[in-house]
Amino acid sequence: MNRGLIIRAFRELWPVTLVLSLVLMGMEALLAYVLPKFSDDVSQEWLKVDYTRAIYKAMLGTDVVDRIGRQMFQAMAWVDPPVIALVWAHAVVCCTRVPAREVDQGTADVFLGLPVSRREVFLSETLVWLVCGAALLAAALSGNLLGGLGLPAEQRPPFTQVLPIVLNFFCLYVAAGGLAWLVSSFSSRRGRAMTIIFLILLVLFLLNYLAQFWKPLEAFAFLSPLHYHRPVYLLGGGAWPWSDMFVLMATGAVMWIAGGIVFARRDLCTV
Amino acid sequence: MSLSVPEGSLFGFLGPNGAGKTTTIRVLLGFLRPTGGTAKIFGLDCWRDSKAVKRDTGYLPSDLRLPPWMNGSAALSIFGAVRGRNLTGAGRELADTFHLDLRVKVREMSLGMRQKLGLILTLAHSPRLVVLDEPTSSLDPLMQQVLHDLLRRRANAGHTIFFSSHSLGEVEQLCDRVAIVRDGQLVADESLAALRERAGHNVVIRWSDESQALRLEPPDFLKLTRREGAVWQATLDGPAHRLIDFLAGKAVKELTIGPADLESLFSRFYQSDQEVAS
Repeated sequence: MNRGLIIRAFRELWPVTLVLSLVLMGMEALLAYVLPKFSDDVSQEWLKVDYTRAIYKAMLGTDVVDRIGRQMFQAMAWVDPPVIALVWAHAVVCCTRVPAREVDQGTADVFLGLPVSRREVFLSETLVWLVCGAALLAAALSGNLLGGLGLPAEQRPPFTQVLPIVLNFFCLYVAAGGLAWLVSSFSSRRGRAMTIIFLILLVLFLLNYLAQFWKPLEAFAFLSPLHYHRPVYLLGGGAWPWSDMFVLMATGAVMWIAGGIVFARRDLCTV
Repeated sequence: MSLSVPEGSLFGFLGPNGAGKTTTIRVLLGFLRPTGGTAKIFGLDCWRDSKAVKRDTGYLPSDLRLPPWMNGSAALSIFGAVRGRNLTGAGRELADTFHLDLRVKVREMSLGMRQKLGLILTLAHSPRLVVLDEPTSSLDPLMQQVLHDLLRRRANAGHTIFFSSHSLGEVEQLCDRVAIVRDGQLVADESLAALRERAGHNVVIRWSDESQALRLEPPDFLKLTRREGAVWQATLDGPAHRLIDFLAGKAVKELTIGPADLESLFSRFYQSDQEVAS
């Protein structure tokens, strides 16, 4: 790793990280405060309607009939599509900097003309990405805990149950980032790389969602990273999701390594 | 392409747009992997040992792009951190030389100011090899002169300057050795003195007697470009004494031999074989 490259990456990523962290913190605070209040208004019968049940199942990754209650709504704060979109957007912004953005903007000529190996560039950028990602999810966690303060003490989810959700969410973030690294390493145009990544993520999101409604897709639901992000289990006092975290981290790591290999071997031409 | 650059030289790398100058430089800096052959700097392989090569190299790309939020001081600080050296002092001296305010942000800089900042970042660590890809395209003539003086001083101190350009005048003014590339092929690699000898001289002969001017046939080494009355305009190939021997005893009113015509020699190098034939 290279100190100068780390300083530069931090300098360029802190504004977007700060803005997204504040937005995410606000959203989580709001969701954590508002969503549990719904539990009193929604009846068991309403959730037994097939369509409603399927939507909740798609979002939460599990059948909700046996888990209706405040915890179900608290879990939704971590699977809310805008929340996931924000977290993934941050991963995509960070992980398409090298080489796609550098080549696209022409700054690759300047910074790769310095005495740094491509491995150093890759590792330095990765470190900054992971630290910024951790900060983003820490902000989401603080927002969630802050929102919970507005609820009666007995209704607040315990920290020990929220923490594994956030760590699992971080693994989901790493998986999306790994995909972004891989696509970026092949690309010389950041816009094109981002479009491809968002399309893939959208397809994977829809796969997880539609598999609840359409039988033929059920067999492929395991391909979606959201299949491994099921916070409702954890809020219900379930065990740590080690296998889900492993699948997400391993997928992200494999794509990240593949991206690094492609980046180290490819030609870089800014013209 | 087979090219070797002597250490401590001011080496001009000439060629028309699209000839392959920048591609060659990209291979030298490890951005592109050679499809065949090898490229070495300081005896190190440019692809495999790229990091070590660039430690003692300063590179200024032709289309310099820097992050818009950076100012000169931040750039010096970050480049210094990457190189593991403090470049602030040397950078400030160079900024004084080029009259650049290091507090101005890149997004507020003119093209010329960005080029100056690029030069400062390229030269601040006193590299053994300086690779400049068309470095003066955005500089005013005064700053071009400042840069030329600086590069001459660096070359005198033993540093090697690899100067890519498509401007003959600039290379002629600065460099002591020149390579010319066309369509990815090296078409010349010689000292400027040798090229000057190869280049013809523009000659004007004004005869005293018009009838003699019309009667006489020019020798092989004199290629007439215009023949009008008592005046011949021609290009002289080879040494001038042959022309003087030819004119001895003839009624010459006035003889003018111009300096070596590198321009037309380079034009011949630049043109493709097809263009020359047509």
